[in-house]
Amino acid sequence: MAECDEIGMMLGAFEDSELERNEMQEVAFHLARCESCTGILADYSTLGRNLRSAAAEPPLAGFSSAVVARVDRLPQPVLTRIARFLRRQADSVGSGLAWGGAAAAIAVVTVILMTPYAEQFADRGPHSATSIAKTEHEAATAVNQVAEATASEPTMADNNSHADISRLESENHSVAVWSEPRRDTTVIWLPDQP
Amino acid sequence: MTLRPGSLTFLIIAITAFGTRGLAYAQAGPKQVTVYIDSVMAADTNEGTDPRLAPLDPKLRGLFGFSTYSLIGHNEGQTDCGKMIAFVLPGGKILHVQPRAIDGDMIAMEIVLFDGTRPMMTTDLKLKNNGTLIVGGPRYEQGMMIISIGASTGGSHPMQARVGTPAEANTR
Repeated sequence: MAECDEIGMMLGAFEDSELERNEMQEVAFHLARCESCTGILADYSTLGRNLRSAAAEPPLAGFSSAVVARVDRLPQPVLTRIARFLRRQADSVGSGLAWGGAAAAIAVVTVILMTPYAEQFADRGPHSATSIAKTEHEAATAVNQVAEATASEPTMADNNSHADISRLESENHSVAVWSEPRRDTTVIWLPDQP
Repeated sequence: MTLRPGSLTFLIIAITAFGTRGLAYAQAGPKQVTVYIDSVMAADTNEGTDPRLAPLDPKLRGLFGFSTYSLIGHNEGQTDCGKMIAFVLPGGKILHVQPRAIDGDMIAMEIVLFDGTRPMMTTDLKLKNNGTLIVGGPRYEQGMMIISIGASTGGSHPMQARVGTPAEANTR
């Protein structure tokens, strides 16, 4: 039974699957032929089960958070604490800054793109009495206002007028131009030459 | 699906930019211009204002001091920007109107008034949409001729004479 003595020393490790592969095969081959060792192994198994059931597992609820809290209480380098503080602030403020940045960007883009239309709407404002007076060119009558002379005149109405004359050519010696912004009307008067 | 703030910002800016461009494109859309011409004889014969000129009456009385305004012709026609439209007016006058561009609420155009084949006046101007340019002065019968030129990117002009059927307009 020398073989049983050797196998018996390995049964505990066999029960815990701690043997090498060839040793596991050797023990298993022996157990198939030896009732004595099989009984001892059964005792090992029973004993192990009983021990595991008898041992009470310690409660683990809150274990991880308690460990983290203890780690946090450990003294940290100043730079680490500052970095941690800044990271927490960035997490809470970051989304607010993103929304603020988005709103500001939208406002800028809208203003840039809509400016021509804003100017256009601004131009629809009421015309002042002074603009009426300014645009009345009736008295001017532009004596000898022949084609070439008038061609160089860039604009004959102010920006508030409903009309903007950039060129006016006529054979007439007298041409009158005036504007009535209140009536959205500009008049070019070409009296027949005598 | 979560949307990061950076992605959301980009998305909103893109929508705003393309939406505004689309709006601008839509506003620049109409390229057709309707031109309205009312030829009016003004005189001091105390005959009052032609009823068909009722929409124009306040304007005429505010601008001129005549006692008689009579509608002697009405023309209207539609043309595209860059395409000239010609109107044959009473008294042997011919009017060429060529819209050049629509700039916001202004219509850029060239207007040439002929007396027969002789050009009387050439002007380049920007006229407000639904605005009116009056060209006057030439003698006509016992008074003077006043030509009211209106332009509109829409279908009607608020200051045109009330006439049953528009007179014929020549386009080329």
